[in-house]
Amino acid sequence: MLKRLNHDIQNYLIKQLPNPTAFLNDRLEVVYASDSWIEALMLQKDGVIGRGIWELIPQAPEHWHEILENCLKGISGQKGVERVVSPNREEKWFEYENNPWYDEQENVIGVLIQITDVTGRIKSEIRHEKTEILMRAQSELARIGSWEYDVVKDQLHWCNMTKEIHEVPLEFQPDLESAIEFYKEGYSRNTISMVVYRSIETGQPWSEKLQLVTANGREIWVIASGKPLYQNGKYIGLVGTFQDVTHTTQFEQRIIESEKLLRTVVDNLPLNLYIKDLESRKTLVNKSECEYLGVSDPSELLGKTDFDLLPKKMAQISRDEDLYVMSNGKSIIGKETLLELHDGSTTHFLSSKIPLFDAENQIYGLMGISLDITDLKQKQEELRELINVTSQQNKKLINFTHIVSHNLRSHSANFSMLLELLGVEEDPHEAQRIVGMLTKASNNLMETLENLNEVVAINTNTNIQTSRVDLHHMAEEAENNLAAYLGANLAKVVNEIPKATMVQAVPSYMENIISSLITNAVRYRHPDRLPVIRLYMEKTNNRTVLCVEDNGLGIDLDKYGDKLFGMYKTFHNHPDARGIGLYITKNQIEAMQASILTCSEVDQGTTFKIFFNDPH
Amino acid sequence: MTPIDSICVIDDDPIVVFGIRKMLQNALPETSLIAFENGRHALDYMQAALDQGIPLPRHILLDINMPIMDGWQFLEAFIGLPIPMPMDITIITSSIDPSDYGRWETFRAITHHRLEYKNKPIRKDDLIAIVSAA
Repeated sequence: MLKRLNHDIQNYLIKQLPNPTAFLNDRLEVVYASDSWIEALMLQKDGVIGRGIWELIPQAPEHWHEILENCLKGISGQKGVERVVSPNREEKWFEYENNPWYDEQENVIGVLIQITDVTGRIKSEIRHEKTEILMRAQSELARIGSWEYDVVKDQLHWCNMTKEIHEVPLEFQPDLESAIEFYKEGYSRNTISMVVYRSIETGQPWSEKLQLVTANGREIWVIASGKPLYQNGKYIGLVGTFQDVTHTTQFEQRIIESEKLLRTVVDNLPLNLYIKDLESRKTLVNKSECEYLGVSDPSELLGKTDFDLLPKKMAQISRDEDLYVMSNGKSIIGKETLLELHDGSTTHFLSSKIPLFDAENQIYGLMGISLDITDLKQKQEELRELINVTSQQNKKLINFTHIVSHNLRSHSANFSMLLELLGVEEDPHEAQRIVGMLTKASNNLMETLENLNEVVAINTNTNIQTSRVDLHHMAEEAENNLAAYLGANLAKVVNEIPKATMVQAVPSYMENIISSLITNAVRYRHPDRLPVIRLYMEKTNNRTVLCVEDNGLGIDLDKYGDKLFGMYKTFHNHPDARGIGLYITKNQIEAMQASILTCSEVDQGTTFKIFFNDPH
Repeated sequence: MTPIDSICVIDDDPIVVFGIRKMLQNALPETSLIAFENGRHALDYMQAALDQGIPLPRHILLDINMPIMDGWQFLEAFIGLPIPMPMDITIITSSIDPSDYGRWETFRAITHHRLEYKNKPIRKDDLIAIVSAA
């Protein structure tokens, strides 16, 4: 009864043990078992006592048999860790300790099993191991090394990657001082000293991109990070990492340098350069473009279209070009365009528009390049003007050559003819007449040469001296000088030039021009009326114009206009010819940078207009 | 004197007219010479002669460069006159401009009158040959 009671008490006590515990008899049947044990092994509460262990845990591994047999043989202290997967696939880890169960006489009567559920511990151990493996892999891949400093022991520990980064052997033992000395002197070393000191003071972590000089003397870039460690509020050390970012940094620097180079090139090209998106909004402009559009900063142009910047007509032309380039993917190269700004200023450009393709070969905008060729254009214009002048001169020269050759030929033909006649003339009286003719021919030749000389003088005198000339006064003088001629022809001169009308001219040329025009008007007077010559002033396009109007024959300009100022045969002793008349007049007018225009109607009269190259 | 045989000279240079007159006087004393100082006067005469039925000159000696109406202008007007008989016209000029020669050929192609071209100076023998032809 007592024994029975004993057994009950024991049973009761064991049942309540917090550590999973079980007692097996020598047949390995459960005699006692704590509830915790039953629970741990996930067994049914009833029907555990008295059942064989192999029956209860059929999935028990082979080596358990040996362990339990060993216990029955009296071997104690067998320990181990087992992984158990429950029927509901739950994974558990147990630490077990199996010992022999002795009676009072120290006889082995069974086995005492004590297990501890270490699932949590094992799992965290595995996790830790995994983390370490991952960390190592990561640190190798990202070239991140770690370090730890124990302030109590004054010990610095570097991991292998940290040593690799510093290019020191694995057996290298760093201390705080040598670690700091690896930082490049100057900015890097000063910065690390400062941030670490501040971090210890404030507890704030740090992260700085700094330069190290490795044991091999190589300069590298690292991101040095770290933070102070505290235990119970007391500073106990530092922990931190190094990341070797030399490659990335060099890469970044190269990119920055390339970008800078590109920007410098783009900005300093003597070209207007811009990039537009599909909506023709500017997304990039260079300095020249800013200067052209009169802004100091590119931001004033970005996002704007030509409609915001140019007169509507110009903007539409530009937008049409943009659409052509972007919808066809074809470039416009070297097109000559004339752009006008709001202020009316115009610029000639040699402009190109090139479509821009993205990685997927889709057009995302265009690049525009414009070269200001205004100066070039102007030079071209000047050159054309010069060619015009030259060809004009050349024409004049050819004309003059013909005149010279023709006139000299006429005279020499006369000499030749008269001499032939003289040679055969027997009548001395007739011979005397022929000699008289010869003298006349000789005088004509002399006069021709003088006239030609005059023309040459006008055209070769490149440095003519002009002065202020009073046109009213000059016309009066001309009238006085021609008084006899005018009187003989019953011609009348009406001087309507306002008094003191001043123009810039060569006085002697001006004198000849006025009297030539008056004589010419009288010479070609209309047979039905008395010649009247009216002189007056006009203003046309801000230029001073002297008009000499007559009521003479008039001339059909369509037919004879080109002859009017040609050097005519009036060289000969035409009864009225003063000399070479209008030919010299025209030469003199052009030598003064003025021009002459003729208006005429047959039977009505002729008006000559002289346009002075005078600012007033 | 009845102008049965007449020759016309149109030239503004009195020396030329003097020379031609002198040469013809000696060689063809029967021939009369009419001179005009420009194309306009000559044309007016021709027009009037046609109107009044006066016989036209046998030969016209025509200078090119003259004031008021030059030789070409005269020719242009003259070939437009209603003269069915082919006339002898010789251009006598000191011009050696190829364009003048070209114009002579052009006129020659469009008229039924006999058009010749002769450079100055004019010699007596040449002149006699010219006006004696036809």
